[in-house]
Amino acid sequence: MDLLWLLRDTKYAIAAMTADMISNISVVSGVWLIALRFGGIGGMSVDEVLFMMSYSTLVTGLFILFGSGNNIHISRIIGRGQLEHMFMQPNSLKVQLITGGFVPFTGGGNLAVGCILLVISIARLHLRVTPWWILRLIAHLAATMVIIVARSYLVATASFYAPVEAEEISTTAIEGTWQLSTFPLSGMPAFIQVPLLTILPEGLMAWFPALCLLGKPPLNLTEYYPFAYALALALAAKYFFRKGLNYYVTKGSNRYVPYGFRR
Amino acid sequence: MFKYIKTAHMACLEKMNGGVLYLMPDIFIKICTLIPLIYMWKAVMASGADIGMSMEQMLTYACVGALLSDMMVVRTQASGWLSEGVLMKLYGRPLSVLGQLFAQTAGRWMPNLALFSLPMALLSPLFGVNLRPASPWFVVSLFLCISLGFAIDILFACLSIKLRNMNWLIDRIRAAIVAILSGTVIPVSLLPLGLAESMKYQPFASLGGATLSIFTGIAEPAGVLRMQAVWNIVLWPAALIIFKKSQEGMVSYRG
Repeated sequence: MDLLWLLRDTKYAIAAMTADMISNISVVSGVWLIALRFGGIGGMSVDEVLFMMSYSTLVTGLFILFGSGNNIHISRIIGRGQLEHMFMQPNSLKVQLITGGFVPFTGGGNLAVGCILLVISIARLHLRVTPWWILRLIAHLAATMVIIVARSYLVATASFYAPVEAEEISTTAIEGTWQLSTFPLSGMPAFIQVPLLTILPEGLMAWFPALCLLGKPPLNLTEYYPFAYALALALAAKYFFRKGLNYYVTKGSNRYVPYGFRR
Repeated sequence: MFKYIKTAHMACLEKMNGGVLYLMPDIFIKICTLIPLIYMWKAVMASGADIGMSMEQMLTYACVGALLSDMMVVRTQASGWLSEGVLMKLYGRPLSVLGQLFAQTAGRWMPNLALFSLPMALLSPLFGVNLRPASPWFVVSLFLCISLGFAIDILFACLSIKLRNMNWLIDRIRAAIVAILSGTVIPVSLLPLGLAESMKYQPFASLGGATLSIFTGIAEPAGVLRMQAVWNIVLWPAALIIFKKSQEGMVSYRG
């Protein structure tokens, strides 16, 4: 279906891809321009900040690649009563949510940009890229994605109980904090760094994994901290989301509309 | 005038329809973004680079930019309302369409100003931020900034009309470009790679960044105000003429 969109409405599809890429580059370029002007941020060099921005762009690329069908903004599906329609499909809910947002053709732009920035930053930093390092990169990206998805599903549980009020809560949890996740936390006091690695995990979206991949895990924490955090958050999200889903299938939703799926 | 004030009042109440608690997640995220932003700038300025601004000025710049973000780069709901059919409904009311748009936009600023900007302004001394304006001309500049913001927004709405409701795309590209070029993320005068000189005279530079430069005292008010006035004089007639011609081309999915 994604390929069909690209082939049938090529102009609009390419415009959408371009808009996505420009938007993401703008978010990360603001921080990089600051680093360039000031020769680095909080002890991180310009090239290290570029590496961190490339990691952030890769995360955005993966997000768009796999999450373009509101399957990660799950509160929208619940709040709009669209879950009912998913129950009626001849595929399990899990399979629909995993595959529903996959857009490999039109959603790969940011991933490509992220890969280019990664290669540039690796070359400038003279990083030694081994197969083990690549595995670590993939693992960190996976952990970051798990944190994003788990947090979205955790807060989206509210939409089972208050579908109107919490319809956009996933958007707040994901996009509301996206800019914060591009801030390098190096040089900031502990009372800023610690909450952003625990309560709000924005520090784990780009800064912490980037420094780990550069061989400098910050705050004397183990490189495995993001994985442990992702696991804990995923378990919590699974528990509460299932509770909410059980409530939903018992009580139903007044947001369901039989004549269409969009409110 | 009373009709527009009432429209703004209704827009303010509409935003708070879900109750104050409904707005709290967004307010919380804004606070969680502002505080690290202040400390990031502290970390950056601690490098000792000579950029013609003191740390106090930079922190004030970043803080005021965040507190008045809605006014620094004005965004109305014109583009979104176009596809939703709400813009069409405005024509059925005994008020000017653009007047209603401006009143509703201004009304929607109020909850954010009351729940985020005002409390954070009172707390800002705790973070070492001084919110005293360097010049009273800041008020005039803010007015010109808001006025220019509305003109630019109307032009983007006309672009949406012309491109048959590709408003999501236009919004994304617009937000990306304006964020950098308006000087609200990083002052235009600090842009590296020679961009500072070349970007000084483009219209987006007369938005938030210009007002903030007067507030912090990093620019002379006369030059900044002159540039803002020029762009207002150039863009407002263009916006009104193009909007008048674009009205017939409006296409909406709903009504």
